[in-house]
Amino acid sequence: MQDKLSALVAKATAELPTLKSRPEFEAAKARYVGPNGELTALMKQMGGIPKEQKPIVGKLVNEAKLRLTAQLDAALARIAADELAAQLGPAIDPTLPSPDTGPGTYHPLTLVREEMCRILRKVGFTVADGPEVETEYYCFDALNTPADHPARDEKDTFYFPTSARFGNVSKKTPEEKYLLRTHTSSVQIREMLKGPPPIRIVSPGRVYRRDTTDATHSANFHQLECLYVDKNVTVRDLKALLDYIFVSLLGKDTKTRFRPHYFGYTEPSFEVDLTATHLPKVKKPWIEIGGCGMVDPTVFEAVGYDSEVWSGYAFGMGLERLAMLLYGIDDIRYFYQNDLRFLKQFA
Amino acid sequence: MKISLNWIKDYVQLDASVEEITRAITFLGFEVEGVANTGAPKLDHVVVGEILTRAKHPNADKLSVCTVDVGPAGGVKTIVCGAHNCDAGNRVLVALPGAVLPGNFQIKLSKIRGQDSQGMMCSPDEIGMGSDHSGLLILSGQPDLGAAMNAVLPPGDTVFDIEITPNRPDCQSHLGIARELAAWFKLPLIYPQEKFRGDVEAAAVRTDLLNAVRVDSPEDCPLYTAHIITGIKIGPSPSWMQERLAAVGLRPINNVVDVGNYVMLETGQPLHAFDAKKLGGGQIIVRRATDGEKITTLDAKERALTSRMLVIADAQKPVVIAGIMGGENSGVSAYTTDLVLECAIFKRQSIRATSRKVGLTSDSSYRYERGVDPHGALEAAWRAVDLILETAGGHVVGPVYKVGGEVPWQREIVVTHDYITEKIGFDIPAADMRAALESLELTVTREEPTELPARGPAWTVSIPSWRDDLDRPIDLVEEVLRLFGTEKIPAAVVTSPGLVNDDDPVVMFNRRVTDYLVGHDFHECVNYTLRPAKELATWVSQTAAQELALANPFVEDQSHLRPTLIMGLLGSLQLNQSRGVVASRLCEVGRVFIEHNGQNLECAAVGFIIAEPVGERAWLKREPADFYIVKHHVTALAAAAGIDLARQSLAPVAGPFFGWQEGQSAAAGTIELGWTARFGLLNLAMVKSLGIEGKVYAGIFAILPDKLSASLARRRYSDFSLFPAALRDLALVVDQAIPAADVQETLEKFAHTAAGNAFAVESVNAFDVYQGKGLPEGKKSLAFSLVFRSAERTLTDDEVNAAFTKIQADIAADGRWSVRA
Repeated sequence: MQDKLSALVAKATAELPTLKSRPEFEAAKARYVGPNGELTALMKQMGGIPKEQKPIVGKLVNEAKLRLTAQLDAALARIAADELAAQLGPAIDPTLPSPDTGPGTYHPLTLVREEMCRILRKVGFTVADGPEVETEYYCFDALNTPADHPARDEKDTFYFPTSARFGNVSKKTPEEKYLLRTHTSSVQIREMLKGPPPIRIVSPGRVYRRDTTDATHSANFHQLECLYVDKNVTVRDLKALLDYIFVSLLGKDTKTRFRPHYFGYTEPSFEVDLTATHLPKVKKPWIEIGGCGMVDPTVFEAVGYDSEVWSGYAFGMGLERLAMLLYGIDDIRYFYQNDLRFLKQFA
Repeated sequence: MKISLNWIKDYVQLDASVEEITRAITFLGFEVEGVANTGAPKLDHVVVGEILTRAKHPNADKLSVCTVDVGPAGGVKTIVCGAHNCDAGNRVLVALPGAVLPGNFQIKLSKIRGQDSQGMMCSPDEIGMGSDHSGLLILSGQPDLGAAMNAVLPPGDTVFDIEITPNRPDCQSHLGIARELAAWFKLPLIYPQEKFRGDVEAAAVRTDLLNAVRVDSPEDCPLYTAHIITGIKIGPSPSWMQERLAAVGLRPINNVVDVGNYVMLETGQPLHAFDAKKLGGGQIIVRRATDGEKITTLDAKERALTSRMLVIADAQKPVVIAGIMGGENSGVSAYTTDLVLECAIFKRQSIRATSRKVGLTSDSSYRYERGVDPHGALEAAWRAVDLILETAGGHVVGPVYKVGGEVPWQREIVVTHDYITEKIGFDIPAADMRAALESLELTVTREEPTELPARGPAWTVSIPSWRDDLDRPIDLVEEVLRLFGTEKIPAAVVTSPGLVNDDDPVVMFNRRVTDYLVGHDFHECVNYTLRPAKELATWVSQTAAQELALANPFVEDQSHLRPTLIMGLLGSLQLNQSRGVVASRLCEVGRVFIEHNGQNLECAAVGFIIAEPVGERAWLKREPADFYIVKHHVTALAAAAGIDLARQSLAPVAGPFFGWQEGQSAAAGTIELGWTARFGLLNLAMVKSLGIEGKVYAGIFAILPDKLSASLARRRYSDFSLFPAALRDLALVVDQAIPAADVQETLEKFAHTAAGNAFAVESVNAFDVYQGKGLPEGKKSLAFSLVFRSAERTLTDDEVNAAFTKIQADIAADGRWSVRA
């Protein structure tokens, strides 16, 4: 018996480390310790062992069983480890580049627009949107720009033929013409016509001027305008907003100043200059950055607001101009060429 | 507009520096676009010298060697000179070593062709006085030897180039700007004093020269005045007048024409002078032209007139396009002795319309278009009469004509200190406010306390006729603020209540899709909205293209609204490829315009392309793009708009145009539904014709903005089962042309019928498509995985098998397809 047990263990010791796969292992395990296994068969012979030898033989059987189990466990662990190792290829070279191009990039105009919208959101402005095809009423009439104003000239503004119809751009009067908006101020009119103040919106968007394309002009470009209408809004509040915007954008040493100017839709009106350190490619101490003013009572009248009760301010600027200033870009046409060597610089 | 500082000083005694005046003009609200000096710049080491001797340079034909005495500045110098006029005895300007001339030209001791030269004698352009390089500047009047240049040359003038905003026509003149500066510097404004004030001796009446002035079109010409001056002598105007006109960019012509221009630049009122003898019938008639009438204007061009244009005519013919330009037939010439001086007011709109129609602008039309002080015309005429008499001689004779002009001017605005304070948001003392208004000649005719005694006064302000732009109390707020100084508006903190609204749904959609695409390695592009006609032909029908056309495009290749974003992206791809830049994934978010039944609809849109990365060399090759990759992205973009593309029927892209490759692209949605999607492979031939290499896959999703507002309904949670699923696979043999979605739909129906109420059909999903060996010609095999599950229990094989058998029986009964063995 003892010999048989020793031989069995020796056989297993030799065979189990050579097993390659799980099925081989399962077969071997059955052969040794399964219901019809060799060890099981030996254990079944225990009945024929004389009573006095039983404790000794029993002990030997148990020892053999323990050794076999340990060897089986070791073999299974080795096979499992081999299986995992087989899933791996050769070691990688971490220094090779990824063949996938990327990452994607946001256009610099998007980056600047979103940064402005985030800055403005912190002081209560939410983003409004409106059509790029507009009518004379929303783009001009309601903004105190009378019919004979030069800005409305066919020389400067893109119009559509009188026969053109735009199904989802509402007209105020049947005879007015469709045009491409020359500023996003039309969004302000549409917003004010939706309901009573308070209003606190920022309207970024694409606008169109009939202009020669060169390094600083583009047939379409982007604007961003703010409108705030409430009770007791003052010039000083407007100045505070502009200071806040540009300090947030360009840092604490940034200053703005107002110069009186003229716009039909604001009174008083100002041009805004800013000065800041660390701006690339800027040689002048003060840079003109936008226009602003207090909403003209005529505009309130057009949208049915009582100018005795409500007051407000508006501010507008060109996004390309701002992006050019922030990044040190000197040709507006680059924004519309989409050369990847340009686009990848702003991520 | 150009403003001469010397001229301004006639009206306001400025002693401020040019910098301070520039600042003042800027903060009064007029942008200073340039400041130029007409005189000599300040230069050191440039002194007066006298040429003592001149000899030919031994080694150069065109050069001379001179000795020049610069007196106390260094004695006699030897100087090589190339000018023709370096003759002995001339006093000239000598730049000595150490001088730095304009253009950073440094003067040193030098050798020129072997000859020492100890300085340079200067031509006018070399010392920054104009462009004359024809010879040395010869000084007259024997200035002292060695005297510094700036002590000898006249100081010149400073000319400001100022942008006048359209609301301030009164500042289209030196007097107007002087008024502003006087207010800023708190100095008095000195008006020119007319000697002539309209009085004509009764005896001196020359109706033979002008017997009638008639205004037939008073709505276009509210005031017309004419003065007759006889016995004048045409000649050059005096040098002071010529200098001023030249300084602001006008060419001096003769004394009469120059006076007209001078008075216009002084007062802002345009004038016109006729040769009295050339006025046919001795008449002036202000009338509309007749259609087809012609006039040859002073620029020697013949102009056709229409009945909407106002002209000044004599008894026979038009002699002036009113307010714009005179005719050759009636102007002042060297032989003119008697003249008629016109000073009139024309309606702005009339001048503007005519100027545009004729294509002709002038200093006069520019001022009339913006508005001229209707009550300053007569004084301007008197001023011109004074200056003509002074510079050309002659006498004013009668009769003096004045037609129209009866409307009196009176305007008062009541404004309170509190109103102004309320609008600006900070305190300015009442006395300062009042002083600001009065400094601009806005006379306060009455000051009264307001009802609450603790508060500031109310002012009744009389508005002068030249300030038609001031009409309401708010307009006076600006005047006070301007003179207070907009730079001094005090800082404050932004007060910010809670948000009033959320961002617009279109804005949120744009953000979501941009984030998605950039997150999937796309590069966001921005392309022009306006596209060329030929590009549209690729994407939309001819009728649609017509609807999208502008009435007045500026350039041919930007004539139509874009109906898709793809064309712009292909342009960007082509640009990158042509520059040798590897480009593959590009996207754009923006508006497109979709024509539908003769109407254009403005849509929010997102588009992308995935191109073969032509020129890319990579050590590891990736699978190229395919249809299902773009389908995946379009599905995600539609989902951002709340649209589940899986529930939409897809159709091949159809149409007579060729943007998409037939059989390799699909369309979903329609603009009637409020949205549309297109995706797949772009037409190979079209892409190639654009000069693009390789295949390009693309996708676009467009939606009406209102649809986005509606898509924000909150979803409800539905329970899901924790019991295990039962899976069955089923392969069907179907015609190759049958879309998988059709088969799947039927299969889902059968599965639901078979499962009944007993348990749920969780999904039916195509997982294998096969055609070829083992299948009949023209057939394909579609394999579906069916997932069954119960919410209450683990399903038994028996019940699932029963259902599965029923499904197969139903397919057999249906007869269209067979189950693949």
